[in-house]
Amino acid sequence: MLRIYQRLWQVNWAEQWQYRANLLMYLLYWLVSPIVYLAVWTTVAKSQSSVNGLTANDFVTYYLTLLVVDTLTTDITIHVLAYKIQDGTLSAELLKPIHPILTSTLINNLAFKMLMLMVMIPVWLGLALLFQPDFGAVTPLSLLLAIPAVVLGMGISFLLGATMTCVAFWTTRVYAINEFYWAIIVLFAGKFVPLSLMPPVVQQLARFLPFQFFDYLPIQIILGRLPPDEILRSFGMGVVWFGLALALFLAVWRSGLKRFSAVGA
Amino acid sequence: MKAPYQVGQVPMPSNGERDLSASKTDTVVVEALSKTYQVPEREGGFAAAVRSFFIRRYRDVHAVQQVNFRIGSGEIVGFLGPNGAGKTTTLKMLSGLLYPSGGQTRVLGFTPWERKADFLRAITLVMGQRNRLSWDVPAADSLLLNQAIYRLSDADYQQTLAELDELLELGPILRKPVRNLSLGERMKCELAAGLLHRPQVLFLDEPTIGLDITAQARIRAFLKEYNRRTGATILLTSHYMADVTALCERIIIIHQGQLKYDGGLTDLSRQIAPVKLIGVALRDAAPADLSRYGVMVPNEPSLDGKQLLQVPADEVAAITARLLSDLPVQDLTIEDPPIEAVIEKAFHE
Amino acid sequence: MFIFKLLATLVKLNVQQELAYRVDAVINILVNLMWLGWELLSLSIIFSNTATLGGWGPGEMIALLGVFRLVNMLMAALIWPNTERFNTGVRDGSLDYVFLQPVNSLFMISFSRIIFWRVWDLVLATVLLVVGVNMSGVGASPYNVFSFLLLVTSGAAILYSLWIVLIAFTFWFTKFDNNVTILQALLDTGRYPAQVYPLWLRLIVTFVVPIAVATTVPLQALRGDLSGWQVLMFLGVSVVSVLVALRVWKAGVQRYSGASS
Repeated sequence: MLRIYQRLWQVNWAEQWQYRANLLMYLLYWLVSPIVYLAVWTTVAKSQSSVNGLTANDFVTYYLTLLVVDTLTTDITIHVLAYKIQDGTLSAELLKPIHPILTSTLINNLAFKMLMLMVMIPVWLGLALLFQPDFGAVTPLSLLLAIPAVVLGMGISFLLGATMTCVAFWTTRVYAINEFYWAIIVLFAGKFVPLSLMPPVVQQLARFLPFQFFDYLPIQIILGRLPPDEILRSFGMGVVWFGLALALFLAVWRSGLKRFSAVGA
Repeated sequence: MKAPYQVGQVPMPSNGERDLSASKTDTVVVEALSKTYQVPEREGGFAAAVRSFFIRRYRDVHAVQQVNFRIGSGEIVGFLGPNGAGKTTTLKMLSGLLYPSGGQTRVLGFTPWERKADFLRAITLVMGQRNRLSWDVPAADSLLLNQAIYRLSDADYQQTLAELDELLELGPILRKPVRNLSLGERMKCELAAGLLHRPQVLFLDEPTIGLDITAQARIRAFLKEYNRRTGATILLTSHYMADVTALCERIIIIHQGQLKYDGGLTDLSRQIAPVKLIGVALRDAAPADLSRYGVMVPNEPSLDGKQLLQVPADEVAAITARLLSDLPVQDLTIEDPPIEAVIEKAFHE
Repeated sequence: MFIFKLLATLVKLNVQQELAYRVDAVINILVNLMWLGWELLSLSIIFSNTATLGGWGPGEMIALLGVFRLVNMLMAALIWPNTERFNTGVRDGSLDYVFLQPVNSLFMISFSRIIFWRVWDLVLATVLLVVGVNMSGVGASPYNVFSFLLLVTSGAAILYSLWIVLIAFTFWFTKFDNNVTILQALLDTGRYPAQVYPLWLRLIVTFVVPIAVATTVPLQALRGDLSGWQVLMFLGVSVVSVLVALRVWKAGVQRYSGASS
């Protein structure tokens, strides 16, 4: 089994490397929003020394950390899977004796993220030079503690993303529906606005939803802004959500496959 | 520079109809037309890759070299040649899509690459492998768009459409999204779209490629009828000999960018391969070695046990006589070689 | 005139196309409204924490959002779909047919595909502008409104010229599939006034990919911040950029006809 993952990694890495020009473009596209929000919030923070307890530097560190965390947790499954369901090329993958999503698609996802991270490093360093963040609050311990959070975020984001892509088994409007899903993520993950600035009702809801693992939680842990008991509580929640996401995905996938084979390519 | 009809061993037929002296009323005039591309040279290996980053070396590809011909109004001319011979490039220069590297050409008195609106309205180019029609939209809508583009009055549009509908047997396929049409149906719609504005000159690049036999036949019949009714000049390129034999009185063979032959089909076989095929069936039906009479040609079993001998045309009588006297011949036929073989031979001169 | 008739036919055909998919139209509008909701939520969060953003009050920001929606409409209704069509045409060779038609090639490439439901953005933009201007309390004199309209048009013209140059690049670099990504990426910066961004970003969105010229600048005119000379200058810039773009396009087409096979 491990061998399969190894080989898949080799193939996918080579494939991603081939498309590195596209990757650069995608990176550019994806970078702009966080930078825009960073600029907006630091302007606000500078004009009045702090926003809800957050200083300009807090915003700078938040968004710069976001760039790294988001690269790791963002999900692109819909872009690689939806069309395969729609035009039937998924059939080819179903013939293999391994679960296509939990192996091939997953490794593809990881290879993509790894390459994105590599490509992003020089850009990130450039941005850090431009924005001069003070990362004093970051310690080796906080980074270590963030790792499980990031892994949980990656896992949940992948599984939920794959589940949402499975909608394609039932309707052609998978992209439109995923826009709603994306809006929910933007609301509850702290992608564009740190959760602590969102309206209270949103914050309350966010505490019980898995989306905070995509960005907000890992960032807060890295920046040392979460007390230990909160960290533990969220890990617990994360594990629960991971299990739920996995179960949900497997169920939806199975059901979707039945429909796929019934309807045909 | 050698004139094209001196290259190779094929003398041009002297036929009054294709008199090469100047005729101002010729529809298509091509003189010393050439097209040369510059293709970057890329060798393998790391050192070469680094070198090519700094110094780009180019190599000339002579796609079309010094081609000359004239086509009169109403002719149907076939362009033949292997892949990469320069046929499509020539058609593109004639339709104004490409600038020639040398020489000149005039179509209906216009210089094609000036792309004057009147010129574009008088010609059409239909490429078998490239789609003009919008994929998701019913063909009928694309036709309406063409009506607007070519500024056809409603009356003209309806009339032409009705004629095309009748000739091509379009029927209900116009209302289906192009995506859902079969290749044959799509080609019919592409032709309809290309002919809506009643062009005087049709450039067709492999119009029957990929189609099944019935579809091919239908399109050929359509083109013949269209030419008969409208007197339009048709230039078509094709790989399929059947297209050529069915439609073209005149063929032009282009090979490696050079014009190798310009004349009639029968003249071609007479000149390029002055051979005949003798089919011999022997009484005891056992295949014998006839190689001392001529070149043995492998044949299909459908020739009911006949063995094929290829012999020089002027020796047919003599060899036939020898066969009849030497062997127990039960049946003997004398045929022209299949046109494909003739043209194949012409390609390789 | 012929060109207008052709445009009318193109609109008609594209609308027909969309009408065939009613549910999609509804979903599109719903998604559109959803994003508007998010944009307004962001604004309310920002303004619950501060009174002005880069010197702009909430009303002005809403008006800016309206201008942004206008620009976004131009992009989404015309530029993205026709870019896709163009790229496909380059890839599969069907672009040749555009040059065989007795119509200006740039016209056909710009207007073949029109995403009509985006006209909805025009409605939204107008509402946002009116509400925003009212909220801000800054009176909009006829002169300001006129300059505003003038500058919106010239901003659109500048972006359109940039688009032409970007897709013309494909004639020289055939594998340049991502020709408009930079335009797409930086479009988002138009949501906020250029004054908010650090200098380097401000320079980029004013001179490299002039989103700010299409969003911030017209709104400044509406506020009455710009002198008549400045308005004229922007107008001049837009005329020059269109001329440059047309020249680049012509060169690109010549290249395409010289080098294609």
